[in-house]
Amino acid sequence: MTRPFILSASIAEATFAVPETAAPILRAAEAAGLDLLVMGRSGTRPFDAQVLLAWAAPMTSRLGLVATVPASNAHPFHVARALSAIDFLSAGRTGWSVIPEGAEDGMAEDMVGAARALWDGWGSDTLILDKASGRYLDAAKVHASNYEGPFFKVAGPVNAMRPPLGHPLLVVDGDDPIAISDADLALIGEHGAAPAATKRLLKVSPEADVASLLARFEAGEIDGLHFTLTDAAAQLPEIGARFASLVKDRANEAGDLRRRLGLPIPQTASNQPGGAVIPENA
Amino acid sequence: MMEKQIHLWAFLQGIGFFPSGWMHERARPEGVFSMDYYARVAKLAEQGCFDAIVFGDQLQSRGAGGHTPERMAMPTLDPVSLLTAMAAVTDHVGLVATVSTSYNTPEMLAERFGAMERISGGRAGWNIVTTAHPATAPNFGEDDLPPKDERYRRAKEVVAKACELWSAMDREGPMLPQGRPVLVQAGQSPDGRDFAARTAEAIFCPAANIEAGIDFRNDLRSRVADVGRNPDGVRIMPGLSCVLGGSEEEARATHAAILDLADDALAIEYLSESLGCDLTAFDPLGMIPVETILDQTILPRADIARAITPAQEKGTPLGAFAANFMRHPRGHNVFLGTPEQMADMMIEWRDAGACDGFTLQPSYMPGGLEDFVEQVVPILQKRGRLRTEYPGTTLRETLGLSAREAVTA
Repeated sequence: MTRPFILSASIAEATFAVPETAAPILRAAEAAGLDLLVMGRSGTRPFDAQVLLAWAAPMTSRLGLVATVPASNAHPFHVARALSAIDFLSAGRTGWSVIPEGAEDGMAEDMVGAARALWDGWGSDTLILDKASGRYLDAAKVHASNYEGPFFKVAGPVNAMRPPLGHPLLVVDGDDPIAISDADLALIGEHGAAPAATKRLLKVSPEADVASLLARFEAGEIDGLHFTLTDAAAQLPEIGARFASLVKDRANEAGDLRRRLGLPIPQTASNQPGGAVIPENA
Repeated sequence: MMEKQIHLWAFLQGIGFFPSGWMHERARPEGVFSMDYYARVAKLAEQGCFDAIVFGDQLQSRGAGGHTPERMAMPTLDPVSLLTAMAAVTDHVGLVATVSTSYNTPEMLAERFGAMERISGGRAGWNIVTTAHPATAPNFGEDDLPPKDERYRRAKEVVAKACELWSAMDREGPMLPQGRPVLVQAGQSPDGRDFAARTAEAIFCPAANIEAGIDFRNDLRSRVADVGRNPDGVRIMPGLSCVLGGSEEEARATHAAILDLADDALAIEYLSESLGCDLTAFDPLGMIPVETILDQTILPRADIARAITPAQEKGTPLGAFAANFMRHPRGHNVFLGTPEQMADMMIEWRDAGACDGFTLQPSYMPGGLEDFVEQVVPILQKRGRLRTEYPGTTLRETLGLSAREAVTA
């Protein structure tokens, strides 16, 4: 598989929480060929991104949906369940970006560890759904996580299936990094910190030079671009016009977000081969 | 004067009212993991002019003693997420999510419902519950639940604080269309009823028969009046499950066939969950292991002793006790009959003051909801008892409630 050029953007406009504004923005984001739309930003979090993600799931078909999750005003049990549900509703297009936002040192990392442990409490092939035998699931494939970190202690098992992606994509922002060694995507500035991650997206403005960015992608220096939207309705068509050629050949790609973006499940996943499998035609 | 209108809610958590319902040939247990399913049932509820869709919730896994059940359906995906996704594919139907005050801060609650309220255009409702299951505490880093009176005290504080936060949001950001979500309650105990009387704009309750409905509604209305609120500003919505047929006999036969889908093992898993003690290793033909149950249960021992002692004294075997236990739902009315008979019953209850409407609990999904919407809804509409179109866009308008009252919690 050729290496995909990844396009991402974040939105933190308060009006995005209103359906009349949000619906056209989601359509514009898909039309521009974006792979990811990050809802909310560190320091600007005008809405509860996890709720908007659920609403956006049926409004989109290809776009990766990433929730900004504050470590200081969320609990891993709730977060693990909400993102699992959204990952099912979006058929494997979910991500999260955990931000410290006023939390004590280490709390964001602890949030990630606890939620991952909860997702890993369910095997990929736990569900059976066999009406004839009456077996709904294989209980041997469900485990208590018994996670114990410095801030969060979560017994589990969580009452939500393992997400289709296994773990939703973890996105870290170089301007507000957290100490995680196996994030899926890092948003990096030209000169700022570059957190460890499988893929690196360079933060650029919509006016940035396409040819030089493509050269840096081909040299393996970056895996794609991230735009910090300030006026999404105006910027998304501009981004589409200037950058859509980079992702054009992937416009109709099927499959979940990990497969499309070439992202494996993190090594820290506890021996789970993949995401949840729902048996067909029970 | 217009005859008394019947309000309708659809309780759609999981895959139906009967533990065996997921095995029904028209049940789609795989559906509850897909958006297609939620889009379909949400549109169906809106087609049936339901006021709202309700999802319950629990913050612990099903099962007992650390044993996850194999035969009971467990699709407890996050209700706020499911309902908010349903908002994107509907225009009118209200969305009532159950969220506990025990393991959420007012800030988390206010943000989640604030976002849900805005993005749904004012269709959010909050079914306020306190968490009573001991297995929840370790999921939030605690060993035990707080005592019951403390849970209710906290509930009052959390609701009051959340309402303050919504008022502040309403002044600062884009307006919350209803100001705040419609407040819903489902408490049964005297503590729960008092809390409901002070706070709730709609109440979900069990009522096995018309007399129980009348008693409950009268009691709640007088409690509401006692705290200085208008009883006509509260909708009382008892649960109602049903199995329909072309004749009463046919409905009874279909009901029996659904119950017969359950084997001893499913019944014992269901009993284990209800008694808070894993009984799956015991012989269904043997005696009820009372001492083991009382030693190991994580639920209040006195309640459990009351539930099992009479059967033990009669010498009922464990399997038979479990099967009987599962066949008698938790105090909710299960109607068996024709669509005409069901419409008659609903009108009779409404006219007798036994309820303001019903919370439909389909026996299995989505077939049970489809049958009701296709067969009973048109009869109620023809008789002028159910709306044929929505009066507005917000849940409060749909419920016929005036502008929001101050919360006295």
